[in-house]
Amino acid sequence: MNDLVRRAPWLWRALLLLALALALLPTTDLLRLAGSLDAADGMVEIVDDLPPDSLVLVGFDPDLGTYAEIRPTVRTLLADLLEHDARLAFVSLTPEGRALAIAERARMVVAEVAPDRLIDVGFVPGAEAAIVSLARAIDAGGDRLVAGLPDEPIALGLIIGGNDIGPRSWVEQFEPRVEGLDLVAVAPSVLLPELTPYLESGQLRALLATPRDGAAYRESAAPSALGEIDGPPPLAVLLGMLVAVAVLGFAVITHVGGALRSSRGREPA
Amino acid sequence: MSGLFGAEPIDQLAIWVAALATLVVLGGMLGERRLFGWSQHLLAGLATGYLALLAITEVIVPRLVEPLAADPGGRPELVVGLGLVAVTAATPWLPRVVGAVPLSIAIGALAAFALGGAIVGTLLPQLAAAVARPEPELAATVASAGAAVVTGLVVIGFLHGSPRGRIVGAAASGGRWLMLAGIGGWLGYLLLSRLVILIDRLAFLLGDWLGLLS
Repeated sequence: MNDLVRRAPWLWRALLLLALALALLPTTDLLRLAGSLDAADGMVEIVDDLPPDSLVLVGFDPDLGTYAEIRPTVRTLLADLLEHDARLAFVSLTPEGRALAIAERARMVVAEVAPDRLIDVGFVPGAEAAIVSLARAIDAGGDRLVAGLPDEPIALGLIIGGNDIGPRSWVEQFEPRVEGLDLVAVAPSVLLPELTPYLESGQLRALLATPRDGAAYRESAAPSALGEIDGPPPLAVLLGMLVAVAVLGFAVITHVGGALRSSRGREPA
Repeated sequence: MSGLFGAEPIDQLAIWVAALATLVVLGGMLGERRLFGWSQHLLAGLATGYLALLAITEVIVPRLVEPLAADPGGRPELVVGLGLVAVTAATPWLPRVVGAVPLSIAIGALAAFALGGAIVGTLLPQLAAAVARPEPELAATVASAGAAVVTGLVVIGFLHGSPRGRIVGAAASGGRWLMLAGIGGWLGYLLLSRLVILIDRLAFLLGDWLGLLS
């Protein structure tokens, strides 16, 4: 393999360019963020099985930089939970997550979601220690460090990830301390390799961690004014792909040009 | 699009500010560094102000000042915490041994939670999952065995500098290639993630700002 790389250094770059060019074929289906519906089966099943008036603890800690990727899925999932008559208790363990939780709650309040459906537990400082406090509050029925959490059984833990304190931290700190509470997560695709083992081992009951999974979930959910069923428009996807291809292509061509110039410089006169 | 803006005049103003900030940041890629530098200062200032507000309104006042004011003797742990904060603030004028106490407690507690959680929540369950075992379906059994083999090869790949024969050397080489493939896959997800963010910004500019998209 090393010989092949040495003899044809352009091959891999050409393959990369070809793959990117294939993504630009003028078929709108290729630009649709959608996948097999079964990618979201786990999440759909769990949401459907929730009894009415369930209390769902939403650990809302996405990252400002990657929230755009999961935002349509998060909004559709929250809307779906409200459609299933669940109550959402928002808690954030990071300042970024708190800012985004405030924005999303404000959006739902503007959309006239009943105030008793949205519970604000607030920002709990302490990173991993905060999750332990939450676990104690839920397991032992109250903790002075966590105010605002209703004193009643929680049906589901939904973790919106992306920040340092995300689904992995919840699995490590929360799951061993609270028995019988399922954890599900929505996270950006960059966290998929980290979270897949937890899904396989059953520590996470369901995970939506790629645009494909998110699109599959949005297709399975009932349309709602609160959700964001459509996802990004094809024109924006096309322009984004063009920009990405241009940047990558420019970098590759510059690199190849530099390699050719240096190889000619080494040739004997 | 982002859905965070309404139809009021103040929302329209917010859209314009957000659009201009987006253009300034994208302009940084094309070499416009001065405006990009100002946008970084703006972000740092806003973040600092927000963090101060969050600390005061959601941590210091409700979790420290109010409980102490309501029942000064009933929360000894808060008094101890306050004392540690005072020691941290006075570190430049205190002996190093005394000044190191709050930091040591913070680091020790953080390490204890992180390490304990990693062992109980990650290491042990993942080790158990990496053991090959017969599954109800043949494909699942093969996948389980494959996962165990990959785990073993990658672990062997970390054998640096220890004496090894041809077989172990080949296994270590294979383990390193598998690890590289894993890192390549992760970088692919990173690229995908950033591409989606770029698309979202373009959708915001074309839809929320210019109104070209429904």
